[in-house]
Amino acid sequence: MMARNWSDYKTSSWVQWCPACGNFGILLALQKALAELNLPSEKVSIVSGIGCSSRIPYYVKTSNIHTLHGRPIPVAEGIKLANPEQTVIVASGDGDLLGIGAGHFVALGRRNMQIPILLHDNAVYGLTKGQAAPTLPLWVKTKALDSPNIQSQINPLLLAFASGYTFIARAYAYHVDQLKDLIKAAINHKGTSLIDILQPCPTYNDIMTKEWYEKRIYYLTTEDSSWDPMISSPEDFDAKAPKILSKMTEWGDKIPLGVFYINMSTEPLDTRIEKILPGYLQYPPAKRPIEIKSKPLVHPFTEFKDRIVQT
Amino acid sequence: MTDEVDISVMIGGPQGGGIESSGQMLVRTFMIKGYDVFGIREYHSNIMGAHSYYNVRVKKTRPRSVRLPVDGLIALDAETIFTHYNEIAPNSFIIYDVDILNTNMEKIAPMEPEVKERIGSELKKLGIEPIASEVIKYLSNNGIKTVGLPLKNLLKTTAEKLKTNVVSVAKTVNTMSITAAVALLGIDVETIEKSINYYFYGKKSIIDSNVMAAKVAYDFVKDNFGIGKPIDDGPNKNRTRMVATGNDIVAMGKLAGGLTLETYYPITPSQDEAFYLGEHRHFKLDEWAAKELGVDKLGVLVFQAEDELGALNMAIGGALAGARTATTTSGPGLSLMNEAISFAVMAEVPVVITVWMRAGPSTGEATRQGQQDLLHSVFAGHGDAPKIVIASGDHIEAYYDAMKALNWAEKYQTPVIHLVDKYIASSMMSFDREDVDPQLIPIDRGKYYNENQNEDYKRYEITDDYVSPRMPLGKKLMWVSSLTHNEYGIVTEDPITREKMLLKIAKKIENAGREIPINDKVSLYGDQDAKITIVTWGSAKGPILDAMELLKKEGISTRLLQIRMMSPFPSEYVANILNSSELVIDVEANVLSQLAMLIRMNTGYEVKKKIIKLTGRSIMEHEIYRALKSVIQNNQDLVVISDGA
Repeated sequence: MMARNWSDYKTSSWVQWCPACGNFGILLALQKALAELNLPSEKVSIVSGIGCSSRIPYYVKTSNIHTLHGRPIPVAEGIKLANPEQTVIVASGDGDLLGIGAGHFVALGRRNMQIPILLHDNAVYGLTKGQAAPTLPLWVKTKALDSPNIQSQINPLLLAFASGYTFIARAYAYHVDQLKDLIKAAINHKGTSLIDILQPCPTYNDIMTKEWYEKRIYYLTTEDSSWDPMISSPEDFDAKAPKILSKMTEWGDKIPLGVFYINMSTEPLDTRIEKILPGYLQYPPAKRPIEIKSKPLVHPFTEFKDRIVQT
Repeated sequence: MTDEVDISVMIGGPQGGGIESSGQMLVRTFMIKGYDVFGIREYHSNIMGAHSYYNVRVKKTRPRSVRLPVDGLIALDAETIFTHYNEIAPNSFIIYDVDILNTNMEKIAPMEPEVKERIGSELKKLGIEPIASEVIKYLSNNGIKTVGLPLKNLLKTTAEKLKTNVVSVAKTVNTMSITAAVALLGIDVETIEKSINYYFYGKKSIIDSNVMAAKVAYDFVKDNFGIGKPIDDGPNKNRTRMVATGNDIVAMGKLAGGLTLETYYPITPSQDEAFYLGEHRHFKLDEWAAKELGVDKLGVLVFQAEDELGALNMAIGGALAGARTATTTSGPGLSLMNEAISFAVMAEVPVVITVWMRAGPSTGEATRQGQQDLLHSVFAGHGDAPKIVIASGDHIEAYYDAMKALNWAEKYQTPVIHLVDKYIASSMMSFDREDVDPQLIPIDRGKYYNENQNEDYKRYEITDDYVSPRMPLGKKLMWVSSLTHNEYGIVTEDPITREKMLLKIAKKIENAGREIPINDKVSLYGDQDAKITIVTWGSAKGPILDAMELLKKEGISTRLLQIRMMSPFPSEYVANILNSSELVIDVEANVLSQLAMLIRMNTGYEVKKKIIKLTGRSIMEHEIYRALKSVIQNNQDLVVISDGA
């Protein structure tokens, strides 16, 4: 197969984000990840919700879906249920995934489907002019708000952990190469993954700026070269979970980046389905025959014996 | 018995007390005897204890409704006696447990205060104390055969004969009561045994104890009350038949229609459809198909979502990947799905939404009947959201409509709402192999893009028939968008492109209206030239058809226009029928007469005579017969019918 370049995944659409928007870094990192994984355009689907970041499907040359506000996860799950071979990536905003779509975010964790969630986390609703998103800290007053934020912030890492995500990472939008590596790892992870991508919103978030972030962020592996997020057994979990959780809750003067948690001991959904529906992996819903020359394959009297009465 | 067999039997008791299996066994017993059956289950939104009953009707030809009064009442508890004492015909019978005779109605905890008050004042007017024995005495005085079963003793006898203890046979009390009823109706004990064998298929010890219980009860009735004059076998002996609920048969239709992914969130009365499909997820193929494909079995994935938002959006995702998908829900779930319906319209995604209507508004009554989501379905989805909406009137229609809906969704790349209701969901009907022949509905997946073409794929290419060739994700580079988009699926706010794309969606559905044959959209029953036209939709059809036969016997000639396709609406046909009628009567189970509104919107014709039912109970033959007569003879504008407990 011919090697691909990140620019092979560029489209001709005008990228409509504001200058210096964190989304640019995420877009580039995603294109680079796809190129390095050498994935064919038609075999990848980026599924987004609504908001600034959710325009990303138009800027990546893969087979993408721009859905409703809050609903990219179930649409992505539907694609994956029907065709487990398709690479499906959710890229959406903090309001979309953790506000209006929070129920889906939680439910996805229970399923451990191979879907990476790229959480564009700028703590504000950009397209509607800067309202507080679920990740905006308490009492922060960005310039668009008429009063300080009186609602506390969600910790996306902890929420993902509690929900059953098996790959949890945090990244910074302007660190393109590091982000690219995380996206590659998440795409390849056989389970649900979250990358919480911190990104400045130069237009509406005048508090959590580039400078604000860059003063605080550091990499887990830089601080501790023995940092090991990999869990491969229940014993492993018991030994490492306390440290992982304490790192996940660290927020303030220091904000850790990198992979917090990888759990390889949880079975992904497709093999669970195969156990209750033999043949699922061979004939997933998108690929199984439903007719032969337009003829339906089953008469109810063939299958539904439990309703038959011999008179 | 005359040639005209028409038996109605009701069995009532506490929810969770075996009403379901009793009704099922009763129905099977009559089927084995060669008759056609129709049975409706009425029940509370409750797991255990609240009053529940089956009304079963038996005829030589398939009954389409139930009626009151019944020819026999099986009371598994005292509440049933109080609730239904005035629904029993003269010369009929009531079966009860002698141990409940002292029960005072006021002491029955699950009975709702309003019901106690209403029945209490009725009984008072009749001079009857609200005690079970007094009601039984009253019924006896009115010529009704009162059959008290000493169930405790009969259980003891059963246990002795099986050499076991009473506790292990305690659950057979319902079988005893049913046996008593069918014995009085002239059915032999062997038929009941067969029925038990079918219902408890494969569970030997349960079968053994129930068969023994049936024998004990049969002998008791024979010795103490005498059995009924044996009835002849019905016309359907020696056949392999089926009995299924509407929930069951829609699952069958979906499976036959090639559904490969069903998503759902639990909601009554839709959940049993998903459950039943799930039970048969790994299904056997017809022999010829198995031979040709080289596999015996294939699968349908039934997946429970976190909510109805998730359910429909998952089905949409599955459809984009190329699966034939559907979701199943009820009114409240449809409310949550509105946004995704609009998305499916805009993104042109084929998906079927089966809506099992129940009594609204709001949570209303989850287990009760209503036809209140017609306008909701037609207008579901924000913005202009044209789509296909089909409403089935009975089990067989629901089966074929489930198959057709899957075809239409893919052919026109649109959401299709399939409206069915609680009446169909939880009623049972007997039918034959040829009644559900899937080969009558060839599978049509619509237009596909030729993937070998080399040019860039336009997912939303504007074509002569406004349908763009489809491609599953994974085969071609494409964009799918919920935003206004161009032919490639790329977002645009160009005013002219927007106009074109909205017209494309609208004209596609208009085309569907032209292409789908009129027989799929309306049915005209009765005397085709009658001047009185009854217009209805959904499950109201059955009782109306039965009532029309009664009217005919009195020389009143009527025809019934059943409208099935609600969008795109068969305006011309409907207008012609209504304009050529002298009297038009609309019948439906909602407060707004929603079909009449839809007719007026589409045809300009104002239906002035209306019959509605709002009690949450099924429309029955006798009450719709009376109501129609009242409108025809007394020129009444609105009749509200309200029979049934």
